[in-house]
Amino acid sequence: MSKFSHIYIEERAAAYPVAQHVLSRFPGSIRVMVRHYKDVFNRPHQDFRRQKASTKLILAVKREPFLYPGPEVCEDFGNPNFYYTSPVLNCIYDCDYCYLQGLYPSANIVIFVNIEEFFKAVDRQLESGPLYLCPSYDTDLLALEGIVPYASRWIEFAGIRQGLRIELRTRSANYSAIAGLTPVEQVILAWSLSPHEVVRRYERLAPPLKARLTAIKAALQDGWQVRLCFEPLIKIHNWQQVYREFLDEVFSIIPAERVFDANIGVFRMSKEQFKRISRLRSDTDIFAFPMVCREGGVVTYEDEKEIRGFFYQNLNRYLPEEKIYG
Amino acid sequence: MIYIVTALPCEASPIVKRYDLKRDDACRHFPLYRSDDMFLIVSGVGKMASAIATAYLIAQNVKRDEAGGEEGLAIINIGVCGTLNQRYPIGTPLLIHKVIDHETGKQYFPDILIEHPFEEGSIETHNDVVRREDVLSGRVELRADLVDMEASGFFQAASRFLAPHQIYVIKVVGDYLDVVDFDRQRVAQCISGALDAVDGFIKQVEGLCRVEGDVLTQDERLQLERVKESLRLTVTQSHQLVDMARRYKLRTGRPLPDFSEFAQTRVKVKAEGRKALERIRRLLLYE
Ligand code: SF4
Repeated sequence: MSKFSHIYIEERAAAYPVAQHVLSRFPGSIRVMVRHYKDVFNRPHQDFRRQKASTKLILAVKREPFLYPGPEVCEDFGNPNFYYTSPVLNCIYDCDYCYLQGLYPSANIVIFVNIEEFFKAVDRQLESGPLYLCPSYDTDLLALEGIVPYASRWIEFAGIRQGLRIELRTRSANYSAIAGLTPVEQVILAWSLSPHEVVRRYERLAPPLKARLTAIKAALQDGWQVRLCFEPLIKIHNWQQVYREFLDEVFSIIPAERVFDANIGVFRMSKEQFKRISRLRSDTDIFAFPMVCREGGVVTYEDEKEIRGFFYQNLNRYLPEEKIYG
Repeated sequence: MIYIVTALPCEASPIVKRYDLKRDDACRHFPLYRSDDMFLIVSGVGKMASAIATAYLIAQNVKRDEAGGEEGLAIINIGVCGTLNQRYPIGTPLLIHKVIDHETGKQYFPDILIEHPFEEGSIETHNDVVRREDVLSGRVELRADLVDMEASGFFQAASRFLAPHQIYVIKVVGDYLDVVDFDRQRVAQCISGALDAVDGFIKQVEGLCRVEGDVLTQDERLQLERVKESLRLTVTQSHQLVDMARRYKLRTGRPLPDFSEFAQTRVKVKAEGRKALERIRRLLLYE
């Protein structure tokens, strides 16, 4: 059945302008009113893979808390007061390695329509000092911009706040959806990039590398700050050559001197997440290379250090040390 | 495997006939009918009765069902219902996307992941018969398109065992809450009229719920065993080999490549085995 064939609407969410906007995008979808979004989202025994083939939308009102402290494993790029927030849960793409698989009980996409309350929570937090915020962690906001314009809402919001810095992370090529906005210094557009072969094999539904590079180039030309995220680095056959040529391709299109910064992260995941995803995904060979479980229960490649070292050296051909994190 | 729960014998009989189900006399507690790929139970009226029969059916039969156990089956509550809405002609079958329990206010949602021929609607399950005048006088307030006496009990019981894409409710409009004399024949006619659509739906559901058996054939498993032995693989390496082989088949849809070269190698030290496994890995990942 087609994507978003059904839209579940929490009773109290229905009147919000964002809910009306989303509904207007899908006039043919069946609308089902629900008392509480968790009555749908948290049902027992949901089948993530089967749902992913026919994802539904859920419109809901988020209750406190709105902001969460940034997790240890995530790079803070030297910013104190690192927080993330989730105005949307789950993603329209379907990457084999995505940590969201099975993180929530459902593959359906929840859009929290009370965005103004997220903004108020940020304002409250700003009273006690500057804030570095990631609102595109448990989703890909730019990819969803055609459905719910949250990337632009966050950009506009950040543009008129002191002390706020926002990272909008994406795998999309949907820059045109925000190209009309004036670049905002407080916002970093962070693009996750992978070699063509990794995209083709393991990033189902996400746009090809070339399309992402074209989007980044346009964003840089317009004056946006762009971060390149080489994360997760996935090991594939002949990886040294693949990743070397990949970086050459990236920087043949993107002017390295304009890049704000970059980060590197070899694939790693908590043991529990790894187990859960391996169980869910018998249809991928993404974990075919030997992994080890390191101290602290983190699973990664046995030659993680070598992969990182190799990639760093090659990236360092284009970007100076101080611009490379991770 | 499809399980069907109906409240009344007259709802069951057209289905029993259509699918040539045979009465299972071994079941002393409920009228139970079966074929190789379908079970039908007649629960009796009311949500408690429906819940008990549903739980009984699933718990009794899952262990007997070899095609994927619980994972490979789907359960459908089929029956007639009432509505106040004359927009639905008598005999209209609806696939339910929301079940409300009138007494508890709780709501239940199946996962509708497949194309289907039905109009969709919501249903409210009541403990007592709801009459037109109860609603018109305001004594009873309806919160759904349809009214019945089983769906919420059925759904609650089924969700204890199954995923929401395995649980469905199909209700056929039988009256406008104005029944004076209960007419079994009319009910049977309503169900009969919906069975072509139900049949198409069942096929779709079977496709959705199908559980693939092991992708490796018996021969392939034997071949891998021989490779494990001749390369003297450790337990972990053996698991990796079988896992890689399965993923290769799932990803490419092709049979495994020829491993006879590896099956014939006799390695003397474990390092050689490790090297050979790396070659196999390359073969399975990139050939
Ligand atoms: S783009 Fe990110 S959030 Fe979306 S599926 Fe891929 S890894 Fe997950």
